[in-house]
Amino acid sequence: MSSDESSGYREAPLPDEAEEQETGLVSLDGKDQAHPSVLGLEERFGDAVLRHEVVAGDEHVVFVSPERAFEIIEWLKTDPDHFYNYLSDLTAVDYGSGRPIQVVYQLYSIPMRRAIRLKVELPLSELEIDSVVPLWEAANWLEREVWDMFGVRFRNHPDLRRILMPEGYEEGHPLRKDFPLRGRFSRAEQTRRALAQTPEDYYIPADYGPGRDFQVVGWQEVGGEPVPLEEDSPGSANQGSAEEDADRG
Amino acid sequence: MSKKTVELEVSRTPEMGMDFRPAHGVLPPVDLTEPVLRSEKMLINVGPQHPATHGVLRLVLELDGETVVRCLPHIGYLHSSFEKLGEYRTWNQVIPLTDRMDYLAPFIYNCAYAMAVEKMMGVEVTERCKVTRVVMMELDRIFSHLLWLGTWAIDVGAFTPFLYAFQQREKVYTLHEAYTGARITTSATRIGGMMADLPEGWLEGVREFVNQFPQTLDEIESLLSHNAIHIGRTQGVGVINGEDAINCGFSGPNLRASGVPYDVRKDRPYYDYETYEFEVPIGEHGDCYDRYMVRIEEMRQSCRILHQALDRLPDGPMNVDDPRVILPSKTDLMNDMESMIHHFKLVMEGVKAPPGESHFSIEGSKGELGMYVVSDGGSKPVRWRVRPPSFINLSVIPKLVEGGLFADVIMVNASLDIVLGEIDR
Amino acid sequence: MSDRTKEQGSGLPGGIFGQGTPTFLTTKVDFVVNWARRNSLWPMPFGTACCAIEMMASAASTHDLARFGMERMSFSPRQADVLICAGRVPYKLAPVLRRIWDQMPQPKWCVSMGACASSGGVFDAYSMVQGIDTIIPVDVYVPGCPPRPEALIYGLIMIQEKIRGETLGEHAANRAEDPDQVGRPLADAHEVAALSGPFGNSTLQNRASGLETGIPTERPKDRAP
Repeated sequence: MSSDESSGYREAPLPDEAEEQETGLVSLDGKDQAHPSVLGLEERFGDAVLRHEVVAGDEHVVFVSPERAFEIIEWLKTDPDHFYNYLSDLTAVDYGSGRPIQVVYQLYSIPMRRAIRLKVELPLSELEIDSVVPLWEAANWLEREVWDMFGVRFRNHPDLRRILMPEGYEEGHPLRKDFPLRGRFSRAEQTRRALAQTPEDYYIPADYGPGRDFQVVGWQEVGGEPVPLEEDSPGSANQGSAEEDADRG
Repeated sequence: MSKKTVELEVSRTPEMGMDFRPAHGVLPPVDLTEPVLRSEKMLINVGPQHPATHGVLRLVLELDGETVVRCLPHIGYLHSSFEKLGEYRTWNQVIPLTDRMDYLAPFIYNCAYAMAVEKMMGVEVTERCKVTRVVMMELDRIFSHLLWLGTWAIDVGAFTPFLYAFQQREKVYTLHEAYTGARITTSATRIGGMMADLPEGWLEGVREFVNQFPQTLDEIESLLSHNAIHIGRTQGVGVINGEDAINCGFSGPNLRASGVPYDVRKDRPYYDYETYEFEVPIGEHGDCYDRYMVRIEEMRQSCRILHQALDRLPDGPMNVDDPRVILPSKTDLMNDMESMIHHFKLVMEGVKAPPGESHFSIEGSKGELGMYVVSDGGSKPVRWRVRPPSFINLSVIPKLVEGGLFADVIMVNASLDIVLGEIDR
Repeated sequence: MSDRTKEQGSGLPGGIFGQGTPTFLTTKVDFVVNWARRNSLWPMPFGTACCAIEMMASAASTHDLARFGMERMSFSPRQADVLICAGRVPYKLAPVLRRIWDQMPQPKWCVSMGACASSGGVFDAYSMVQGIDTIIPVDVYVPGCPPRPEALIYGLIMIQEKIRGETLGEHAANRAEDPDQVGRPLADAHEVAALSGPFGNSTLQNRASGLETGIPTERPKDRAP
């Protein structure tokens, strides 16, 4: 990252810079402090626990294999010795230049007052992992956000669709490193596309497809078709279809 | 559909003609359909431009009569790409973005970000800086809860508490302005310290505010806490029990209202919060009223912490003495070659964090606010992620409102204390 | 925007009082109508982010917007005169903003409050509209991030001044809307590109991910019609 800095200062580093970088401000001594959950994980899951790091002094990071991630998280959540009952955060990190995307689970145990971070590395060719929504409802929106921003698919997610970007967004997944800051389309095209969408178009519930929309029911005209109520407030989600209503009536 | 023939008769009235006969004869019989009596669900759309959604939240509600059958929140109408922008800025340049994220409690976000980066770099800030940040954060907890209180009162139908709350908020605005020059977008922290030392008389200003604030709080509370309308609209509305609340990722006052005593200040203390004397208010029922009471009580506890912090604020340097993160003093700069090199490096390249990462959580005004920063040794973050408390709190709203009345949706939404800038980021 | 400019120069032939020089009567009618209009403006608060908090502060007790005839915040666009767009506007919100503007009845004015609404501000990124003037016409830009309540009040007073200067004949011409343009971007493609191209500090934000733009980086000389 420092290579693309343009200040040109790199040619004259301080004499002791290298040492500074090494001794660093991060102490790696924390590895000695055994984290009971890490020991438990290594004991129980063996090969599925790929490696263990200690960062920023006291934060324990465990890399696990994508296939068994769900199993491991479920065990961490339910095992009475560990009991990570609180999903603090779920996000992803893209390091760029083709490196795998890391999905990060930040777990916390309220009764044990203990935190652990699980990481799963997914190669760009295979961005799919089991959803943890069956374990925590909190994961629902967080996983949708990771899908929206990074394009990681979560298997068995109840409702995996974009959450922050518009439903019909075509430029890609914005937080990937290969996504340009200002988007892929020109500003004029982005503006045109934004205004071309009708605010009502998106986010009608899935089983509210055409034909199952609501109808205003009441006095109807003689012999004529039922007339859906015209409503043009900015967010009206009213897209009635006459036939369906007539069928049910 | 059945039809029945109705023969319309026109009764005679004096207006009809001189001889009391209908002006246009007897009307021919017409067919009228009978009213169809059946019920259907109705789709109602609240937002994204709606005064009671506290921003640009959009809720699509399916109603059966007045009962909410299903609620679908839609967010992203304020997605401002904070996290992407953060990857294009140096470590210190991210700070102005943090306070635009939660404009209700800017100091808390400034501090949380700076703390996460400092933890990743292993920088230990000075004692004075720690206590100053505690003062700032508790001040902004009150600041944020006050806005919540005002809008909450408007949603319940009372306008006066809004005016009272804003009167107090103006005092905090003035304090913000006296220190940082900005009323909302404070950008006060730097990696390793604060933007400047506290201006003269500022602490007295805070003390004055803390001394007079509880009276106003009592006044507002006397308008609401025992008000029959307020109680009727909030008690037993939007109930969630502790277990579900944990499962749904609730945090902050919302979680504590459900009876879970999880407060990051107590459970994972930072900045010596364990040495301050304060209580963590806990609710019992997990309804809107409890969330209201918890926040009211939290403001009182914040006042307690503020008193203690103001008393113990030590003298000494505000910024850490570390040339990698803080500019050297002007005197050193002019006399010392090494300081000049440090200065040049800091100005041209910015702070450089060693490779690593940190996830640091503090107790924000809305809940557990986590900052996750990842560095690869450069002067810009690889990833800057915010664990947004109100994002996760809001995701529970379908659970809270489904089965309740339509009017309760507004109260539940208000009781969650959301801020859309941070939900959408 | 260019079409509007042309229209404003010539004036519509079919205005309420025609094109002729103002007579005594129309001058007086202008005065009375403008007096009534400018002192009972109903703002439509389109608040999204930080600026909305300052807008609330302007309406609250200390700054008290009601002193200027604006105590009635109209949350329905159908009964509003001034659209105060306070805060950043992402592309996802753009059609909503445009719809609200189209729903407001004539005569209507627009205040773009804050840096983000006026130019995109610091958010020069993939999801943000770079200035709402690419979508809807703006009368007054209030600078600041966020502007103080005093600044917003000053901006609204400028709207009042603008109303004072308008005659009814001009008014019909100035504020005529082309029905074909409803729901469309206000600016055409090259204008949007020029308005929202990177400038100033943001050109330094280039990174390996590749910022590619073939757009000239100059700002338009004058945005006013």
